[in-house]
Amino acid sequence: MRVEDPRLVTGAGRFAADWNLPGQLHAHFVRSDRAHAEIVSLETGAARKHPGVRAIFTGADAVRAGYTKPMHTLAFPGKGGMQTRAPERPALAHGKVRFVGEALAMVVADTAAAAQDAAELIEVQYRELAPVIAPEQALASGAPQLHESVPGNLSLEAEAGDAAAVEAAFARAAHVTRLKVEVTRVAPNPMEPRACLVAHEPQDDSYTFHVCMQGVTTLRRQMSVYTGVAEDRMRFVAHDVGGGFGQRTPAYPEYCALMLAAKDTGRPVKWVSTRSEGIACDTHGRANIIDGALALDRDGRFLGMRLDWVNDMGSYLSPASQGHVRNTSTCMTGVYRIPALYASYRVALTNTNPVSAYRGAGRPDVAYAIERLVSRAAAELGIDTAELRRRNFIPPEAFPYKTPTGSTYEYADLPGVLEKALKLADWRGYPKRRARSEKTGKLRGIGIATVIENTGAGQAAKDEVELELDARGHVTVHTVSKSQGHGHETTLAMIVADALGIPRERVAVRQCGEDRQHRLQGNHTGGSRSTVGAGSVCHIAARKLIEHCRGLAALELGVEPSQVDYAKGAFRSRESKRAVKLGELAGTGPVSVVGEGKFGSTFPNGCHIAEVEIDPGTGAAQIASYCAVDDIGTVINHAIVEGQLHGGVVMGAGQIFGEHVVYDLESGQLMTGSFMDYCMPRAGMVRAIRGAEHPTPSKVSPLGVKGVGESGCTGSLPALANAVADALRPLGVAHLDMPLTPAKIWHAVRDARKGGN
Amino acid sequence: MAKVTIKVNGKNQTRNVEDRTLLADFLRDELGLTGTHVGCDTSQCGCCTVHVNGRAVKSCSMLAVQANGAQVLTIEGLAKNGKLHPVQRAFSECHGLQCGFCTPGMIMATVGLLKDKPNPSEDDIIHGLEGNLCRCTGYINIVKAVKMGAKLMRGKGKRR
Repeated sequence: MRVEDPRLVTGAGRFAADWNLPGQLHAHFVRSDRAHAEIVSLETGAARKHPGVRAIFTGADAVRAGYTKPMHTLAFPGKGGMQTRAPERPALAHGKVRFVGEALAMVVADTAAAAQDAAELIEVQYRELAPVIAPEQALASGAPQLHESVPGNLSLEAEAGDAAAVEAAFARAAHVTRLKVEVTRVAPNPMEPRACLVAHEPQDDSYTFHVCMQGVTTLRRQMSVYTGVAEDRMRFVAHDVGGGFGQRTPAYPEYCALMLAAKDTGRPVKWVSTRSEGIACDTHGRANIIDGALALDRDGRFLGMRLDWVNDMGSYLSPASQGHVRNTSTCMTGVYRIPALYASYRVALTNTNPVSAYRGAGRPDVAYAIERLVSRAAAELGIDTAELRRRNFIPPEAFPYKTPTGSTYEYADLPGVLEKALKLADWRGYPKRRARSEKTGKLRGIGIATVIENTGAGQAAKDEVELELDARGHVTVHTVSKSQGHGHETTLAMIVADALGIPRERVAVRQCGEDRQHRLQGNHTGGSRSTVGAGSVCHIAARKLIEHCRGLAALELGVEPSQVDYAKGAFRSRESKRAVKLGELAGTGPVSVVGEGKFGSTFPNGCHIAEVEIDPGTGAAQIASYCAVDDIGTVINHAIVEGQLHGGVVMGAGQIFGEHVVYDLESGQLMTGSFMDYCMPRAGMVRAIRGAEHPTPSKVSPLGVKGVGESGCTGSLPALANAVADALRPLGVAHLDMPLTPAKIWHAVRDARKGGN
Repeated sequence: MAKVTIKVNGKNQTRNVEDRTLLADFLRDELGLTGTHVGCDTSQCGCCTVHVNGRAVKSCSMLAVQANGAQVLTIEGLAKNGKLHPVQRAFSECHGLQCGFCTPGMIMATVGLLKDKPNPSEDDIIHGLEGNLCRCTGYINIVKAVKMGAKLMRGKGKRR
């Protein structure tokens, strides 16, 4: 049982929408129903007169306040030194709207219902402009322009690797495999809709936010950049957070607009998003088109790979926009020794909702592109897909391995992971299972993916954790990381309890506490980094607490510190056999230490093998078996880690088989704007996952841990797609892009059979 | 406005509410029972599942006035005298929750399901939870938790 569980299973959890403050008002946003239009007029008179309405804010208010420049992180030079063109985004749209769902006015009233009623009285006159939805079309000449400051809708052109080396590799290749894939735009959809309650304190002109977040430091900095309000004048309160997956990281314009309202009305102002609003305007994920080519020699050894990316960022750059360029070049070589690599990136703006980090933030995308290419190459060359991988793995003795795109992989036992997975999945027995499926009229396919990803490194200067020992011998752990379901209160407590040799029940974890959030540095929880960062520092801080207390104990016992041994919550003098307990050292007041550390990337890796069975009559694909062997370093809590893998695998399965944010290509209308149309994975999608750990401890962390939060979907996206491709290959189906819906598969099977006839 | 009296977790609650007030909002905003969560606006997610007169109901799909005179059980009323309901225990022991947002609805839906099918098959469970979404767990441990909850409840029944 996790520490978090008792309150969460009894309804006593406290999520963002559960907070209320005396005298609070409620906000409702008026959102654009056009994808691209000039705002000709905004008539708010009738709404202002509606009973209960206190104030209405529009883009003019946002511009007046200067809330126009959100932070972005494409802050590195692009191709030929190109600087990112980052458009302004007033917290409420001003002059122009650029996607369906963009907030352009905010009504503040006594009740949420009154605010919504009044919002419906606001009349907006638009002059419609042609929208551009598909990113490749947005980059084509003559496309409608979203922003004057972003000519050609090209925000950044970037590159990685060595173009000439890749060209030379392709020139001498015996075989080249080409595949263009789309990693579709999806909605993160954590189950808790976004909510934010902002209060303004006029005495010191400060703001308090009750908001669902992934940690205080990143959000606070982004909010400060957006609004110009100093970080030390912002406090954030979050207890339970209902999922995140990257979607909670950015400073959203709604939060800035609520600041305006709270200051102006002098009352706390609360906003709770609906799911439909969330699908329209919470940041989306993925949305990458990758045109790939892999060059091989006569023996099936990889010579070079080229990936040409078009990264759809939506209508504005989100604050976490860098991942789709940076993470994908860091891991571009995958798990293979590929001597020559080159990637080009064109970051496009379209009349759609902004795209940001989503579980993996580019890592699953690049793994998908590579693993699809490798499996396709194996099929083209008639080599077993596992054997082609084995032949090209970075061998264990080559680590630490410097990749051609400049990152250094710490270590991986790729052959070990592969062999364990092949055994677990009964790779050899597959032909029999395929024959059995064929007898019942089903198409069966097997798919494999061997993947690696960079996790753990954060942007903060360091991670800090404070441990506070009290007179009862209990320890409070203060961290600025924030669980969104990860179970920090359990895992971090286990780490500290283990280091101190005391029962876990004596350790309590406080995340982003109001009294610590401005004192402690550290990273937010994202990028699978919290056990690597905050977790490692918990261990370091516990060691530091022991050393600090050893001195105090020595004084107490009247001996030299070197004469004092520590074990299980007590110090003992070697000579006198006298002992003093931890709690006794805090008798006159709490004893506090701050531990710190700065950690580079860890490289979890794994092999996932999936089998699917397709009913050609309906096109429906069932996941017949799923095996995952992962090297995620030392494991602190096996149940929590397994839960992360389950969730990640199924999230990937959701994207492969159903999830897709669809905009009408002509009108830019959102076609999947609620759970009626957006296909979320349900119970039974993946019935079971046979998993095994293959740990090689990381030396980056004193605990030996590696990140785990994103591994599941990094493996499952390519493994599942490869399985479907394998099932359909005998029919001559060359390629299908996700989502592999029954309709898409049914049409492909039918067309292939027609062609065959 | 309408006056409603609803027996919630064994206690009569009388309030004047707007006609359009949803039962979910009544529970959360009027009674402060924030364990009932609202995760969507199209009655797909099931986060708001409660029991009305003993049946699992999505409280976002019912008006408070429709529940006038009814008995409502929410997640807050499920544990008795500080002792977790077997399904609550099973969700925790099987790690059938991560963020916990869908959990109250999942648990109330499960308790409802087990009333109809005390010994459900895996297909029964998957079908029974079709109206409840979870984004964290991948459902595998939730299905395990339902099986364990059923087992615990059957065991308890025998002892009586």
